[in-house]
Amino acid sequence: MKDFAQINRRDFIKLGAAAGAVGAAALGSRRLVAMEQKLGGEDFSATTGAARESVPYTCLACNIEDGGIAYVENGRVVKLEGNMDHPNTRGKLCAKGNSGFLHIYDPDRILSPLVRTGKRGEGKWKRISYDEATTLLAQKIREVIDRANTENKPEILNEIVLKWGRNRTGGAAERFMHALGSNAILHHTDICESSKKVGLEPSWGPDIESCDWANTKYILNFGSNILETAYFMNPNAQRLVDGVVGNKAKLVSFDVRMSNTSGFADEWYAPYPGTDGAIALAMANVIMYEDLYDADFIRDWTNVTAEQLKEHLKTFTPEYAEEESGIAAADIRRIAREFATTKPATTFSYRGPVKHVYGSYQEAAIHMLNVITGNVEKKGGYCLPRGMGWPQPEPEPPKGRVPSLLATPPEYPLASHHVSTLAPYRVRKGEAKVSVWMTFYDNPAYTYPSSHVWAEFLKDENLVPFFASFSPFMSETTELADLIIPDVTYLERHDPESMPSGLYPCLSIRQPVVKPLGGTQEFRQTLIDVIHKVDPDGSLGIKKYFAFDTVSDWMRAHFDEIPGLKEEGGYNFLKKKGVWPIYGKVDPNTAKIVDRNGNEVEADYGLHRKELSASDMEGAEVDGNGTIRKNGKAIGVQIRGRNYVGFGTPSRKIELYKESFKKFGFNPLPTYKRLPTRERKDNELVLTTYKVNVHTQSRTASLKYLAELYHKNPMWIHTKAAAARGIADGDLVRVTSSVGYIVTRAHVTEGIRPDVVAISTACGHPSYGRLAQLRQREQAPDWAQGAASPDISNNVWWDDRGVHPNPIIRLAVDPIGGSQGWFDTLVTVSKAQPGDSYGDVQASVEASDRDYEETLRYAYNGDIHRKNHPEVDIEWDALPPAELEGVGHPDAG
Amino acid sequence: MPIGLQAPPSLGVPGKKRWAMVIDLRRCIGCMACVCADKAEFDVPLGVWRTVVKVKNTGAFPNTKRHFMPRLCNHCDNPPCVRNCPTEATYKHEDGFVLQRYERCIACRTCIAACPYNARHVLPNNRDHVKIGGVVDKCTFCNHRVEKGLVPACVQTCLGRSRIFGDLNDPNSEVSRLVATHSTVVLKPGKGTQPQVYYIKPDRGLTEQAYSEPVSYAAKADARAFYRHNRSSKFFSGVL
Repeated sequence: MKDFAQINRRDFIKLGAAAGAVGAAALGSRRLVAMEQKLGGEDFSATTGAARESVPYTCLACNIEDGGIAYVENGRVVKLEGNMDHPNTRGKLCAKGNSGFLHIYDPDRILSPLVRTGKRGEGKWKRISYDEATTLLAQKIREVIDRANTENKPEILNEIVLKWGRNRTGGAAERFMHALGSNAILHHTDICESSKKVGLEPSWGPDIESCDWANTKYILNFGSNILETAYFMNPNAQRLVDGVVGNKAKLVSFDVRMSNTSGFADEWYAPYPGTDGAIALAMANVIMYEDLYDADFIRDWTNVTAEQLKEHLKTFTPEYAEEESGIAAADIRRIAREFATTKPATTFSYRGPVKHVYGSYQEAAIHMLNVITGNVEKKGGYCLPRGMGWPQPEPEPPKGRVPSLLATPPEYPLASHHVSTLAPYRVRKGEAKVSVWMTFYDNPAYTYPSSHVWAEFLKDENLVPFFASFSPFMSETTELADLIIPDVTYLERHDPESMPSGLYPCLSIRQPVVKPLGGTQEFRQTLIDVIHKVDPDGSLGIKKYFAFDTVSDWMRAHFDEIPGLKEEGGYNFLKKKGVWPIYGKVDPNTAKIVDRNGNEVEADYGLHRKELSASDMEGAEVDGNGTIRKNGKAIGVQIRGRNYVGFGTPSRKIELYKESFKKFGFNPLPTYKRLPTRERKDNELVLTTYKVNVHTQSRTASLKYLAELYHKNPMWIHTKAAAARGIADGDLVRVTSSVGYIVTRAHVTEGIRPDVVAISTACGHPSYGRLAQLRQREQAPDWAQGAASPDISNNVWWDDRGVHPNPIIRLAVDPIGGSQGWFDTLVTVSKAQPGDSYGDVQASVEASDRDYEETLRYAYNGDIHRKNHPEVDIEWDALPPAELEGVGHPDAG
Repeated sequence: MPIGLQAPPSLGVPGKKRWAMVIDLRRCIGCMACVCADKAEFDVPLGVWRTVVKVKNTGAFPNTKRHFMPRLCNHCDNPPCVRNCPTEATYKHEDGFVLQRYERCIACRTCIAACPYNARHVLPNNRDHVKIGGVVDKCTFCNHRVEKGLVPACVQTCLGRSRIFGDLNDPNSEVSRLVATHSTVVLKPGKGTQPQVYYIKPDRGLTEQAYSEPVSYAAKADARAFYRHNRSSKFFSGVL
């Protein structure tokens, strides 16, 4: 994606300067006649009528990073609204975004650092100052650094671990860890969507597609819930509705459960979990064998031939896909024909297909449908994401010297987004050591598969001698910490942002819209303070990477030197406008971005077809495949005499054939592997999870507006499956996997496959403040320092907080993408037994340990891997060894 | 002659405004952004709503559909709540807003009983930052915004652009164009209230759903808890 960010920046700087001038002018009179009321951009108090102060920011209720405007009255944020200048989110916020300001005023917010006084997890704390807290953390870190230096073992530095969930610091957290010399940076991407990323990146460079929803005519959705939750929900949902209602596009959706997206679709199909790839391959088979493919595009822009694809797809017939998925071959054939012959068309996929073992194959198969039909980078088609970058302040610390086993397990050399789920198992087995564990925007004791293992692990002072959390909320994970240095909420801190949430690349800013509540300190400042205390005199050579007097200085270093933005005012422009560039205005009737004459400011298409300039070509060489190289780096591709930038791959073409996969015994072409859950016993069901439109995974249960709308998560079960088990709607049921069981209630519905059950996330919190636990009438615990909310204390009317499914979900790692197979757990469901009560949870650490051993067998050096890949023609006995330093993990070291 | 503080119906009267909302149900995705924006706009406490989105599933597997039905005060051109208010707390503005004057309201609930749409509620006293309670409240069509040239908050944030707001007396307005070019319905037209919220593409299931009882155990259990808490209202929202 970096390559494209650079191209984009250069191109859009020109456009940005032009559009910025236009944006300042008033709309033409033609438009004013049609729509007399303004959509937004200013706000007035409902009680006094007074204008409210407005401050732009970037949302972080979830991870879409919508542009927002906060309205402030008497120093209090009273309302949030979308920023009309944001070209992709266009003045709209979703339910979560609209409710995000409640985070600030959460009565159970932590407003001062806390140090543990009782046993770990006992809930006894002493309030200390930020100065004392950063001194304590710095001292713990310094001890590790001193030991590494004394023993001359840089690997000791990897005992300093930072695990984050939602890191939108724009490089600050990485800078901190690299400055300390540690590579033990654990992401959450593998419990999110990393197998999708790994299915895409080797093929065309970036990690996601950006669909031109508004202009398309046909959408094939595989397992994503675009209208509720999937990546870029708000901007994608806006454009999807424009496409389907406004542009008369057809939406065909594959999902095991009737989500709002599938309930909205023209056609909904519910395949067996984990078989989307078989359907996509069968569609590709139909498209290739019925000659419906784009021969020119395959010839010019891919590293395979049509004949090669036909040969590969021969056995993936619609009948085969019907056998695997349960979707009729006739439907698969018809949809394949419609998809290939309706132009433009696009697929979109998200967690449904990819959160399985072998999820990356499924993503690659879906991606291929767009490639063989030539819909890539077309108006109305399947486009590359458009993001922008920002420079990091110099000097930048180099990565640590030794790769970290916890961050980059060598068994997963293709998992470019890391595998974090294995960490507690490895530490418990003595394979890696931890001295200081830090956690930021992360709650694995609630959000991870077999979440009980994380709670056990973090509770163990022998395994995790020191544990610091930066969370402002008492989550299931943070309550186990020794030290809490609370960050502020996203409306009170600084971050640079850019999200490819639409076809217009832009930068945006997060900034305090009010003074941080209760004298709290933002994470960025805490990092500066800790570093300055670890290396007070600069003798360790670390302090120079944090030579910022203030957080604002740091932000200036990101924004003040970007060409184009610099001329318009750099950081000051972003502080005022929130987003850059300003492409135009949102037309109130069409929601398109228009210039002052009301004409659409059209997005750029065909990014791969940008031609290289003569100066780019100076000193470049073209190899036999057309790849253009300069200074050892592939910069483009020559096709029939023209020099294009191409795609972000080694050949600069779309690499449907992935050499990197083959090296480790994986099929280099998109394929399908039957999962163990396909061998289901008659009484078993596949457990799936999902998110709803008004919640994130774990952070929003404490927001009153959202909790009021959705607070309990009964298990969806099909009418027939329920009847076969004697279960009626609302019955108490016991759901049992090989890890343990939970007791919840049944929601009997027609909207789910009969062999699947579904339980949403976001409910059943055993912590996360009083409201999430429905203990709002109790007295505030000592650590809770927000102002009391009379509304929450008195007006909560619901009496059910739900039951969380994660403890019984098995650990399962995709051997390619490293993702958690969230939908690979089989369960039995029965009426609750005598003595069972709602919310009971029983989960075994030993059973999860067995899952750990089992899932490693699927890794490239495991025995099941070889058995599952007889078709891959390599020297199986000469696979590269799974050594930390040997494999060349993309991010190692 | 109108009774109470009732401005005469303004629909189609030259020189008058008639604010109205069109809700294009083809475009509603049930995202609940409007519900939350409205809660924030007025610091609406838990347990009451000025606007909700009703959810209904229809069909049998695999031919199922999900429908959404946003609801709010209809700002009737002939509002029964105004006729029935004994203290003239509720009145109709000449531009069409049906509004509430808190200082005159004695919370007698007559208007609540008179409203065929369940669109009114009694404000609880325990609120976070707006300290008005113990009186009847309702959707105002965001008249405080509209008078400053803005659309209502729910329209502003509507992801699907399902909610459209404007002056129905202006033939060039978007609402006029939509009402003129689409078949629309209003709720309970037989009550003679002349409601001014127009729905595009409602199928039978949808209009019925606006008043139907909850079906699933999950929804019924919430409804029970809600009624226990707030016996005056059946106007509540939920995702299940």
